[in-house]
Amino acid sequence: MENKLEVIRGGIMDGDMPLVQRTVTAALEEGISAPEILNEGLIKAMGEVGRLFEEGEYFVPEMLIAARAMKAGLAILKPKLIDADVKPVGKVAAGTVKGDLHDIGKNLVCMMLEGAGFEIVDLGTDVSPEKFMDAVKVQGVDVIAMSALLTTTMPNMKNTVDALVEAGIRDSVKVMIGGAPVTQAYADEIGADGYAPDASRAATLAKQLLGV
Amino acid sequence: MTHDPAGMSGKDLIFAALRHQQTPRVPWVPFAGVHAGKLLGYTAHEVLTDPDKLFEALLAVNRTYDPDGQPVVFDLQIEAEILGCELLWVDKAPPTVASHPLAADMHMPSRLPEPTDGRLPMILDTMRRMKDEVGEHTALYGLVTGALTLASHLRGTEIFMDMYDHPEFLEQLLTYARDVAKRVAGFYLDAGMDVIAFVDPLVSQISPRHFDKLLSDPYKELFAYVRERGAFSSFFVCGDATKNIDAMCRTHPDSISIDENINLVTAREITERHNITIGGNIPLTTHMLLGNQQDNMKFVVDMLDRVDSRNFILAPGCDMPYDVPAENVVGVVQAVRDPEGTRVMLANYHAESLDLDAVQLPDYADLDKPLVEVFTLDSDTCAACSYMKDAAQRATRELGGRVELVEYKFTEKANVARVVKMGVKNLPSIYVNGQLKYSSLIPSNRELVEVLERYLED
Repeated sequence: MENKLEVIRGGIMDGDMPLVQRTVTAALEEGISAPEILNEGLIKAMGEVGRLFEEGEYFVPEMLIAARAMKAGLAILKPKLIDADVKPVGKVAAGTVKGDLHDIGKNLVCMMLEGAGFEIVDLGTDVSPEKFMDAVKVQGVDVIAMSALLTTTMPNMKNTVDALVEAGIRDSVKVMIGGAPVTQAYADEIGADGYAPDASRAATLAKQLLGV
Repeated sequence: MTHDPAGMSGKDLIFAALRHQQTPRVPWVPFAGVHAGKLLGYTAHEVLTDPDKLFEALLAVNRTYDPDGQPVVFDLQIEAEILGCELLWVDKAPPTVASHPLAADMHMPSRLPEPTDGRLPMILDTMRRMKDEVGEHTALYGLVTGALTLASHLRGTEIFMDMYDHPEFLEQLLTYARDVAKRVAGFYLDAGMDVIAFVDPLVSQISPRHFDKLLSDPYKELFAYVRERGAFSSFFVCGDATKNIDAMCRTHPDSISIDENINLVTAREITERHNITIGGNIPLTTHMLLGNQQDNMKFVVDMLDRVDSRNFILAPGCDMPYDVPAENVVGVVQAVRDPEGTRVMLANYHAESLDLDAVQLPDYADLDKPLVEVFTLDSDTCAACSYMKDAAQRATRELGGRVELVEYKFTEKANVARVVKMGVKNLPSIYVNGQLKYSSLIPSNRELVEVLERYLED
């Protein structure tokens, strides 16, 4: 039994999507529960991928193929997880702020959050404060994650926070930010709840913010 | 233009640094791309498309920031635009690539740029004009988009998956990107550029293993080509590329330039093993954009304390944000030109013993004639300060004895107290009758004379 989970973890870390798909299916057939495969296989492997990324052993390509393999495994598990009434640990709306089209960092954050058990609402790039607000009001997200690569678009993070305050919904959502020019000091200045320097730490931060 | 005591021009200093010789002082290269436009109130789009505005703005950079080396244009989308990428323009940043022609269609391109393509005519023309105007004393940098970044513009983020899914396609694409870079570098060398910098921010996102496999050979060829042409080369990277510095060095550039995500001392240990010059890494956001003049002066003098002057060029971490306050860059220039004097200034600024009561401010409301006060860091070493002082002198001379002029240098403690008491935020500045009129940006003679004439009328 453990062997299958180990194979899944190794497959994710190597980005071997067919191996992960095959082994997840075989593990289910063997009677391992979907929540156990999710927690002990997929989420644990992505945690390890994140750790290696933080340590500078893994880079963007390694993370992307690991995340792709994880997603392929998750797709097989999803119907079983619904049957077992497994809920995501939280719901996050992620987007690159208005005026900014850079999405590599934002995509990595989405993947790491998904790999940590979050449900993701990917708002894409060039996301206005209004769109972030809609995600809170309409989709009921717990966390807003904003990314910016340009110093010129960073102010739109503040504009979004200000819009949430103005709409009276700031307290109903956590706000986290990241991106090359962004710092903890900037997060403090604009009243965000947290800053993460990379995608792996974004997943850790989201959990901290929600206390999960 | 500043000549050091040994009579070397800024260009001589850059050349010496790139030949790995000891230099009498650390040379300095401000990466003023779109920020050049800010000095004259031009948008990013204007300085990146209009040759006259670009030329004017580059001359303003040369005058205000007294560079030893200077890039002519900093835009990593020039080649991509020629090769079919659509660009999204904004007022205060270089354009962003909005479409990737090879995202869905993996047909390998083969056409190489011509000097008549895209914005190359205006860039090459500006390079030639800069060469004529400042090329004798300033080393001019031609910036070429690096192979991985150009390939990613063409292919989009799929390029990362290609490393696993389509390695042969990616190898061909990088060979093509190398050929484009080589050709554009050739045009820039023909136009008189002294240094060719290949700028490849995406290098920070891949492992040393992928660098060796995919980029080592293309870059070896590019740097060998620049050397064959008798010019100097540099490899610019942005982001935390610490793990790739050694692999980058093994492609044999003359220098490497890094941003604040890399620890300069750590990186330098690696570059020194290869006897490669390192450039960097004044923090763009925390210091240049959001800090004040003193923060920047302190950062530079602290850095100069930690780093030996040989094999080192002071530069911002990457392309300076548009809105960097000019006075912050002026502070950097002062610190690199006169580190000892700057240390004294910084100590003075924080001295608690400043005797503010001893400073007698004039009765500005009851002056016999208009009073022009020029506050400078040190007009003997700071170019912007000397231009500010010259501007004030020229204007007051033109108005005969009707206006009074006085300069306060920050090097003297009594003047520091005056600066504090007056609430002067940035140097150099011109105050007229106690009111701030100009800060860091030098007024034209006509502009200043008109202002003073209005005071005379009052």
